[in-house]
Amino acid sequence: MGLALVLLGLISDLWNSTIGGLWDSTDVFRTQYFDFGLMRDEFDPVLDGFWSTVQLSVISGALSLAWGLVLAVLRQLPGRALAPVRGLTIAYIDVFRGIPLLMILLLVSGGLGAFAFEGVIPEAIGIPRFFGKPDPFWYGVFAITLTYGAYMAEVYRAGIEAVPRGQMEAARSLGMSHGQAMRFVIVPQAVRSVIPPLLNDFIALMKDTSLVSFLGFVEVTQAGRDVQSEFFNSSALTLGAIMFLIVTIPLARLVDRMIAREQARTQRGGATTVPTPAPGTAAGGAM
Amino acid sequence: MEREPVAERGSGAVLRLEGVHKRFGALHVLRGIDLEVQRGGVVCVIGPSGSGKSTLLRCINLLEPPDQGRILLEGREITGKTTADDRNYVRRRVGIVFQQLNLFPHKSALENVLLAQVRVLGRKRDEAGAKAQALLTRVGLADKMEEYPERLSGGQQQRVAIARALAMDPHVMLFDEVTSALDPELIKEVLDVMRELASEGMTMVVVTHEMRFARDVGDNVVFMDGGVIVEEGPPAQLLDSPREERTRRFLGLVLEH
Repeated sequence: MGLALVLLGLISDLWNSTIGGLWDSTDVFRTQYFDFGLMRDEFDPVLDGFWSTVQLSVISGALSLAWGLVLAVLRQLPGRALAPVRGLTIAYIDVFRGIPLLMILLLVSGGLGAFAFEGVIPEAIGIPRFFGKPDPFWYGVFAITLTYGAYMAEVYRAGIEAVPRGQMEAARSLGMSHGQAMRFVIVPQAVRSVIPPLLNDFIALMKDTSLVSFLGFVEVTQAGRDVQSEFFNSSALTLGAIMFLIVTIPLARLVDRMIAREQARTQRGGATTVPTPAPGTAAGGAM
Repeated sequence: MEREPVAERGSGAVLRLEGVHKRFGALHVLRGIDLEVQRGGVVCVIGPSGSGKSTLLRCINLLEPPDQGRILLEGREITGKTTADDRNYVRRRVGIVFQQLNLFPHKSALENVLLAQVRVLGRKRDEAGAKAQALLTRVGLADKMEEYPERLSGGQQQRVAIARALAMDPHVMLFDEVTSALDPELIKEVLDVMRELASEGMTMVVVTHEMRFARDVGDNVVFMDGGVIVEEGPPAQLLDSPREERTRRFLGLVLEH
């Protein structure tokens, strides 16, 4: 018994002089970022902010997916007559991918507000307050869609261009118009192959919604920041970060798994190579 | 079904090409092609690779509109100034099967045959479905209707592709080396389907390297080289006693092995 007590004491000393000591010396760090009491007290406003982040992300994400597809299809329109449309689309994509989202946000919010004030556009559009959401929310949705639509258009384009040429020819040779061929043959195949990169863009979009805090919209970053300036403590921001990770890490893992599955499929041969038939299936062309 | 001799079948040329030229930039691929295909006739086109055979077929269904010359489909000129409607008119009457396997991979065999019927011809889904089932049965794939292309052999895929083209009720069928991408043991099942189709009176233009098929099924064989038709004639004459030196050389090369 005595020996056990001595051993326990030794272990305890060892702990205090090494890891335990280190832990104590990180006290300032821990209090600044991991004050669980503060996290508990401020949990509700941070969660409210995160809910706004999610709403902003889902609405902007859905609109970006749609707008990106429109841009990608416009960019692929055939024929010389439609060259201006293609040119304009490419210019749009280049411009919006080349400007910081924050600038677009400020340009959109300031511009729309001013136009509404001057009566150039209706107030419902200049200062949008649909579904009880404040106007910064909708400025954010608009600016994010403009920007991420451009990013996603490029992702779709890669997918469309990866569909073998023969698919368009097969569709056209059956009498389908370019539009029908895109709609029923090319785009369904393209979209399937670009879901992982689109999800990656969605993760980036979700993080970028924090920029809407610049317009005074309280999403999770702003909620954390409010607590930070009140208590001189960053734990609420840590809490917000954790909430982000709870969503983004599973998404990232999902993307990896989808890519791995897609690779396994194409390495196995996919649609490009010809599988040898199972015995007995190479029936003659009896008619 | 017994086949009537070509001459008696003819209600004139279904397809008529007059001086067709096609250039891709500096490359002059077709240099004045004249060709006539009678109703119910089977024309087999042979020749070395790069001779313009595929381009010829792609010109006929306007996937590559000719730069010069005229093409008449059932007496109606389809070249010159064409609108999208004209092109779609042509493609509905001219079916084509390609060398590359290009079934729609995201659709089952049945849906592959059904899609254009519904979207292009405006057929009702069940009507189109019944037609697709009948055609797939005809090409020997009654038990593969729900399979996706990935799960089908190359030969089966080409047979679905034939059914898909036939579903549009084409007046002319074009075959562009449809067995060239297939393993040898799968070639026969596809050729058998084409043989059957020919015996039922389908008008066909077949680009092929299968000399036996050309001999057995073709009413006419056309030898192309360097973008022109070098020689044309009944299979027995052209394949056994070609008049032109170039034809002789080519046949010597392909028939040697």
